[in-house]
Amino acid sequence: MTSPDRKGKATTEQSSPLPSLPDDLLLTCFARVSTLHYPTLTLVSKRFQSLIASPELYKIRSTLGRTESCLYVCFGSDHDPNPRWFTLCLKPDRNVINGSSGNVLVPTSVPHSAPAHWSGLISGPSNDIYNIGGPLEDAPSSSEPGNMWVDPMVDVLDRKIYVTRGCNPNTRTWDPEGSTPHAFVSLVVRKKVYMFGSSGDSAYKPKDGQWERFWGWKPSLGWFSCCVVEKVLYRYRSEEFKWYDTKAGHWRKLKGLKGLPKFVSYGFQLVDYGGKLAVVWAELVPNGGDKKKVVWCAVITLERPKSGDEIWGEIEWCDVVCTVPKSYQLEYALDATL
Amino acid sequence: MSESNKKISLISSEGEAFEVSEAVAREFEIVAHMLEDGCSGSSIPITTVDSNILGKVIEYCTKHVEVGNVEGNSEKAEKDLEEFDKRFIAVEMNTLFSLILAANYLNVKGLLNIGCQKVADTIKDMKPEEVRSIFNIENDYTPAEEEVVRKENEWAFQP
Repeated sequence: MTSPDRKGKATTEQSSPLPSLPDDLLLTCFARVSTLHYPTLTLVSKRFQSLIASPELYKIRSTLGRTESCLYVCFGSDHDPNPRWFTLCLKPDRNVINGSSGNVLVPTSVPHSAPAHWSGLISGPSNDIYNIGGPLEDAPSSSEPGNMWVDPMVDVLDRKIYVTRGCNPNTRTWDPEGSTPHAFVSLVVRKKVYMFGSSGDSAYKPKDGQWERFWGWKPSLGWFSCCVVEKVLYRYRSEEFKWYDTKAGHWRKLKGLKGLPKFVSYGFQLVDYGGKLAVVWAELVPNGGDKKKVVWCAVITLERPKSGDEIWGEIEWCDVVCTVPKSYQLEYALDATL
Repeated sequence: MSESNKKISLISSEGEAFEVSEAVAREFEIVAHMLEDGCSGSSIPITTVDSNILGKVIEYCTKHVEVGNVEGNSEKAEKDLEEFDKRFIAVEMNTLFSLILAANYLNVKGLLNIGCQKVADTIKDMKPEEVRSIFNIENDYTPAEEEVVRKENEWAFQP
């Protein structure tokens, strides 16, 4: 990064038969490598590790137009207050067994990560990961001590983060019982924040600053995950993927998806993975010993023929990506552009 | 392009002179700046680059200047240039690093780009120990740290 360093290295090159690249040039090379290979490069040396972690690298990626989607998965455990973060990585070529996609979830450290809750995690406007929420006693504006949990719902729209549950907009204080409509899930579709809850569904359009009631595409209540890819809302339930046809006003089945294993309708996550649909789910392994949960990931490419009334999904790859202890719960999966 | 007949000598670290047209020399941004700053001398010392590498960089720039001067048929020319770049950069790691260092010093952007891309393509499917060997770097993790790192990253070492 510093030019004196560069010059020093360049002159020593003459006496050494093996020239070495200074940090700034290494970064320029690393920026051209997919982030899927970064965990492997981190193992090379401490210098590589610190370069891979440096903000400079991500600035260069951005300048070169090399940013790409990066999948992060978060597990929680009753035995461990700290969340465990994993990121998707491609195994070095020669270690991949035939038939495997080579994709693995590897542990990654997210510094200062507070216990995560699925609804309060978000990949923010500048692609940092925000974890909004936590014990109420830590909230500066709270006068009530105690162990209440702020479990906000957050969305990003037009580079702003909207907290759609847990924060009282009038007092700007954390408010777990909130006066905002109580919602189970919120989504951003076509420049509006949609919320689905027990007291009816509503949509918020920041431009008008108004909440409006709407009817029609309520996903379902309870534990589920849905996501928006390219302005289309997808959900998974009862072993079926569906998407919401806004024109027709009802859910349609996602066609194709040959070869996707069946998985249960809870404890999974759907993510917009750079315009593709990523599904992460965990399965208990009977007689699996100490590590008893296998984590699956599937990446589905979506195609919408011109007629527009059907969408086809094709499995790009689907694999077991890691094995975790039985106590681990899949909390959240998100996509950050790096 | 009437000035392109003018010749300039680039002197390598060993003192060897390479005579090139001004257009080619200007591909080295560092030289272009010198010329613009009124450096009118006809020989320019490139003290940090040896003859072998300087010769290669000149070969790269000459080809790119030639192709840039051909009018029409740009699609074919571009394809040819791509092929040339591909062949040009298919060199041993040591030479590749030297080319990158030289391209960086001389500020030849195109060469720097294809050089860095070549490194990226080469290392992306390598195991950590293979990357160490091509970069000629030591594993600076202490045995204890490496044990931890290896344990955390069993995936990378297992088939």
